[in-house]
Amino acid sequence: MLEEVKNDIVTALGLDDDNDLLDHLVEGSSRYIKDLKLNLKTALNVENMSAKEAHLTGLAIAVNNKSPKLVKYFKVKSQELEASEEEIAEAIACASLLSANNIFYRFRHYVGSEKYDSIPARIRMNIMAKPVLGKEFFELISLAVSAANGCEMCVKSHEQSVRNLGTGEKRIFDAIRIASVVTSVDKLLV
Amino acid sequence: MNNRVLNVGSEFPQFDKIACVSRSKGEEFRNVTNEEHKENDQWMVMFWWPKDFTFVCPTEIAEFNENYEEFRDRDTFLVGASTDSEFVHLAWRNDHEDLRDLRFPMVADTSKSLAEELGILEAEEKVALRATFIIDPQGIVRWVSVNDLNVGRNVKEVIRVLDALQTDELCPCNWEKGEETLTAALSAN
Repeated sequence: MLEEVKNDIVTALGLDDDNDLLDHLVEGSSRYIKDLKLNLKTALNVENMSAKEAHLTGLAIAVNNKSPKLVKYFKVKSQELEASEEEIAEAIACASLLSANNIFYRFRHYVGSEKYDSIPARIRMNIMAKPVLGKEFFELISLAVSAANGCEMCVKSHEQSVRNLGTGEKRIFDAIRIASVVTSVDKLLV
Repeated sequence: MNNRVLNVGSEFPQFDKIACVSRSKGEEFRNVTNEEHKENDQWMVMFWWPKDFTFVCPTEIAEFNENYEEFRDRDTFLVGASTDSEFVHLAWRNDHEDLRDLRFPMVADTSKSLAEELGILEAEEKVALRATFIIDPQGIVRWVSVNDLNVGRNVKEVIRVLDALQTDELCPCNWEKGEETLTAALSAN
């Protein structure tokens, strides 16, 4: 039975047969594999985001996590859901830029010295000015990536900026759930 | 004569000037306007020199050209200009080894109207001083530097200033001082 659940996951994500950790779960009769499947389904079929948005968010998290299998899956799926090449490129770019910003600002926040606050970052963030994904969705992806990278102040400030743009907590939570679950799947695809 | 240089914050004057853009037959010249970079959502760096066929100029112009990619990668339209005619520009390019492969237009402000409006005409000879302007995609002057006739420029400094002007810390991560500023910054975009 667990073998079937595993095969469902493999088929859904378009994976090859080389999935050692998923096989371990099946061999050790871990019911977690069922939860994993359901978590993924729940995370990507949400009420407050379109399917396209959910998969673009998944793509950004997969890029941030350096997960080639999931990058491939989310890219193809986003295309099927009629995301444009520009939108896909921006989700990828957003993940890369935010991983830079998360490190940079996390350092500033950790140290908390006004001296570092007054030296210019000299990191180009121009894609934030006029995102093709729209300001709100770009910020939402930024928030999800920041949560995945564990930067407290980045999470707080992006959460604030998304809510300032009129987004409710449920939609924010949908994005965060994608970041969480995609990362949990990613851990098993080594 | 206007001897006051157009300052930071001013709108860059309108112009439509012929420029030397190539040494290939039939493709030597085209018009360059102040609208071009705005239409392409680009910045513009316009640098001036006093006279073609002089000694200091080619070194400096070649250095701008060597850094062409640096400007391109910064979404910046690089333009050179002097009060010489387009034919003099072409002759100089054909004549001087370092200028043959220039990748940016050499604007011919033969009437001196643009140099005059910019306030960079030297009083005695009525030629352009070594002025450099950085203009943002909205057409606003964001940096000006003017050297006397014989003082060469540092292209690296131009790139440094361009970088500083372009790298706003747009990320809300940087924003800790109060909600209102952030909201204002976001709605401005």
